[in-house]
Amino acid sequence: MTTRRAWLISSASVSITALMLAGCSNSNSDASGDSADSGSTSTSSTETVYRIGVIAKSNSNPVFQAAKTGAMSAGERLTNELDGVRVEILWQTPPEEDAQKQAQFVEQLVASGIDGIAISCTDANILTGALKAAVDEGVIVVTFDSDAPLSGRMAYYGVDDKEAGKEVMRQLADQLGGTGKVAVLTGNPAAVNLQARVNGVLEQAGEYEGIETPTVFSFMPETATEAAAKMQQVQSANPDITGWALVGGWPLYTDNALDGIYENAKVVSMDPLPLPLEYVKKGQVQVLVGQPYFGWGEKSVEMIVDKLEFNRTPESEFIYADFDIVNEANVEAFGKNWEKWLGDG
Amino acid sequence: MSTTDSAPPRNAQPTTPGTPRGSFLSRLFSHQESGLVLVIILMMGVLSIYGYFNPSKGKKKIDIEQNARIVLLDAQGQEHEVGTIGRSKIAQYRVIESDDTREFDASVINNFDAETNTLYALDIQNRFLKKSNIVLVLKEASFFAIMAVGMTGVIILAGIDLSVGSIYAFSAIVGAMALSALPEGTGWYLSVPVGVLTCMGVGTLCGLANGSMSVGLRVHPFVITLGMMAILRGLTIVIPQQFYDTQSISGFPQSFTSGSIKMEIAGVYPIPIFVMIVIAIIGWFVLSRTVFGRRIYAIGGNEVAAKYAGIPVGRVKILVYTITGALCGLSACLYLGYLGAGETNAGNAYELQVIAATVIGGASLMGGRGTAIGAVLGAIVIQLINNAMVIFEVDTSYNQIVMGAAIIIAVVIDQTKQRVQARRG
Repeated sequence: MTTRRAWLISSASVSITALMLAGCSNSNSDASGDSADSGSTSTSSTETVYRIGVIAKSNSNPVFQAAKTGAMSAGERLTNELDGVRVEILWQTPPEEDAQKQAQFVEQLVASGIDGIAISCTDANILTGALKAAVDEGVIVVTFDSDAPLSGRMAYYGVDDKEAGKEVMRQLADQLGGTGKVAVLTGNPAAVNLQARVNGVLEQAGEYEGIETPTVFSFMPETATEAAAKMQQVQSANPDITGWALVGGWPLYTDNALDGIYENAKVVSMDPLPLPLEYVKKGQVQVLVGQPYFGWGEKSVEMIVDKLEFNRTPESEFIYADFDIVNEANVEAFGKNWEKWLGDG
Repeated sequence: MSTTDSAPPRNAQPTTPGTPRGSFLSRLFSHQESGLVLVIILMMGVLSIYGYFNPSKGKKKIDIEQNARIVLLDAQGQEHEVGTIGRSKIAQYRVIESDDTREFDASVINNFDAETNTLYALDIQNRFLKKSNIVLVLKEASFFAIMAVGMTGVIILAGIDLSVGSIYAFSAIVGAMALSALPEGTGWYLSVPVGVLTCMGVGTLCGLANGSMSVGLRVHPFVITLGMMAILRGLTIVIPQQFYDTQSISGFPQSFTSGSIKMEIAGVYPIPIFVMIVIAIIGWFVLSRTVFGRRIYAIGGNEVAAKYAGIPVGRVKILVYTITGALCGLSACLYLGYLGAGETNAGNAYELQVIAATVIGGASLMGGRGTAIGAVLGAIVIQLINNAMVIFEVDTSYNQIVMGAAIIIAVVIDQTKQRVQARRG
C-alpha cells in the first residue's frame, strides 16, 4: 500500500507540474496585448489569431534576447494596428546552439498548427529538411541572421556577411589612415558566416596600398577568455600589429581583454553589445559594427504577418539590413537601445 | 553501499525468490516501470484534455484545379484582389474552375497562398493527441533512449559515461563522411550497412577505449570518460574543418534518408521508434534473462563479492562500456538518416539528458539497480515534458527549470520508495 502511495504521490506531482504549466501557459504571448484564450479556435469568432514561432540559435546569447524583444514588440504592435487580428509569439530556442533541437522545435510547432516560423539556423544542412516540410504544410517561414536558402523559406533578413567584413575593414582603415599591419580575429574557421566576413575583410584590405595583407588568427572554442588570450598572445609575439579587425565580438565580453593591445593598435569589431560598448567608452575600441538584432525578430514577424494577413511577399527573398556604426560620438545614445532591446526600457 | 542497494533488483528478475506476492495490483505497482507508465499516462491525459479544449488549427490542402481563379469576397459580397484585403476581413473564398464554381466560407478556410494558388481548409485537431505529435515525441525520445539503454548498464555497474554525447557526435561525423562519399544513386542495401556499420563501428571503438582504459589503468570512469568527452568533441570539430572546410557534412544518398531511416509510413516517420523498441526489448532481455545481465547487477551491487564469486569483472565492465559506445553510434546513425547531415555541435550536453533519462527510469547512481525499459520510459517522460512546453506555449527559457525539477522529484520519490521497501523488508 505504501509503495502504491509513493507512486500516487509521484504521479500527482507530475500532474500538478503539468497543471502548473497549463496555468502559466501563454506566458510569452502577452505580446498580443490582450487576455483572450490561447487556442486559435477558442477565440471570439471575429478575431483571427496568427501564431508565430520564433527560433533563435541560443537563449544564452544577448543578441537573440534582443531578437526576442523585437518579435514580441512587433506582435504587440501588429495586434493593436490590425483590426480583428491577434498575433501570438511563441519563443522556442535551445539554451545552447543545437541544430537538432531546432529541427525538433520546427517539427513540434508544425504539429501544433503554427502559422509562421522565424528562425536563425544553427546549421542549414540539418534544418533544411524540417523547414521544407514546414513550408509544404503551408507554414510561412522566414530566416534571420543565418539562412537556409534551399529550404523554400519565403525570405531571409539580416546582413550580408561579406559586406559586414568589408565594413569592419573600411572602418579600421579609416582609423589607421590607410597604412599599417592588420590582424584578423575569427572564431571557428569552418563557420560559413565567419568565413564570409573574413573574406570581406581581406578583399577590402586589398583596396589599401599601405595595408599589408592581413594575417587571420582563429581560436576554438568560441569563448571570451579563449579569444582574449589569443589576441594577447598574438600581439605579444607581433608587436608591430597596428590594427585588429574582429569579425565577432568574443574577447570584448570580458573586462580588460585588450590590455597590452589597445596601447599599440586600433581595434574595430563586430557586435556592439552592452559589454563591448564599454570598450568604446574607455577608448580601447574605436568602432563597433552592429547587426539589426532587434530587427531580426521585429522584421521577421512583420513579414510573416504581412503574408498571412495580406498575402503579400517581400520583393526580394534577401532583405539586407544596414549596419549600425558605433563610435565614441554615439556610444551613449546607442547604449540606450539595449534597454529597449533587452526589455528593460 | 547499503545491502538494499547492492541486491539484484526484484523488478528485473520477477522469478527470483522474494518477488512480492499478493494481489495483481500490488505486484503491478511494485514494478519500477509500472509507476513510470502511470506517470506517462497521467501526463498524456492532462495534455490531451488541454489539447482538446485548446485545439490546433491544422491545414489540409483543398483539391482545386491548377489554374482555378480564386476570388476573395468581403462580408458585403464585394470582390477583392489578393493583397488588397486583410485575411481577417474575408468572408468567402470563391473558387472558379473550368466547369464549376465553388464557394467556401472563411470560417472553414485556414489559409490561401496566392503564390502557389493553394487553398488550405481548416483542420481542427487535438493539439496533443494526434498521430503526428505522438510520433514526434517518441521519435525525439528514441535518440536519447537508445543511448540510455547502454547508460543503464553502465550505471548499474556503479559507473558513469560522460562521453556519450561526444561519441554520438564523433560517430555521426565519421558516418557522415562515409555516407557523403557514396554516389547519390546508391541503393539502401549499400548505404544503410555503410551508415550503420561506420557509426556503430566508431562508437564501439570509443566505448572499448573507455572500458579498457578505465579497467586497465584502474582510473575511475568519470575521469576517463570526461577526457574522452573532450578528445572526441575536439576531433568532431577538427575533422570536418580539415577535410571539408565546413561545420557540417551532408549530401547522403536518398536511399539512406527518405528511403530508409526517414521513410514515410502512414504520413509519419517512425523508423527511429521501431529501432528504439527493438533496443529496449534486447536491453530488457540481456539485463534480466542472461548470465551477462545478472553479472552486471552483481558487480554493481558488490564488486568485491562479485570478484570472489568468480565473475570476470574487468571483462564485463569493458563489454558494457563497449555496448554503450555501439548504441551511441546507432543513435548517431538514426540522427544522420533523419536529419540528412552531421554537424560539429551534435550531441552537445546530451550526456546529461541521457543520464537524466536513466535516473528517471529508476537506475541508482550507487549501482546495482536499473532497467532498460525504465530508461526508455525515462526518455519518453523527458520528451513529454519538452512537448508540454510547446503544447502549453511556455517560453523555452523555462525548459531547463522544469526539467531539473522533474529530475529531482523523480529521484527523491524513487529513493523514498526504496526506503519504504527496505523498511518493509
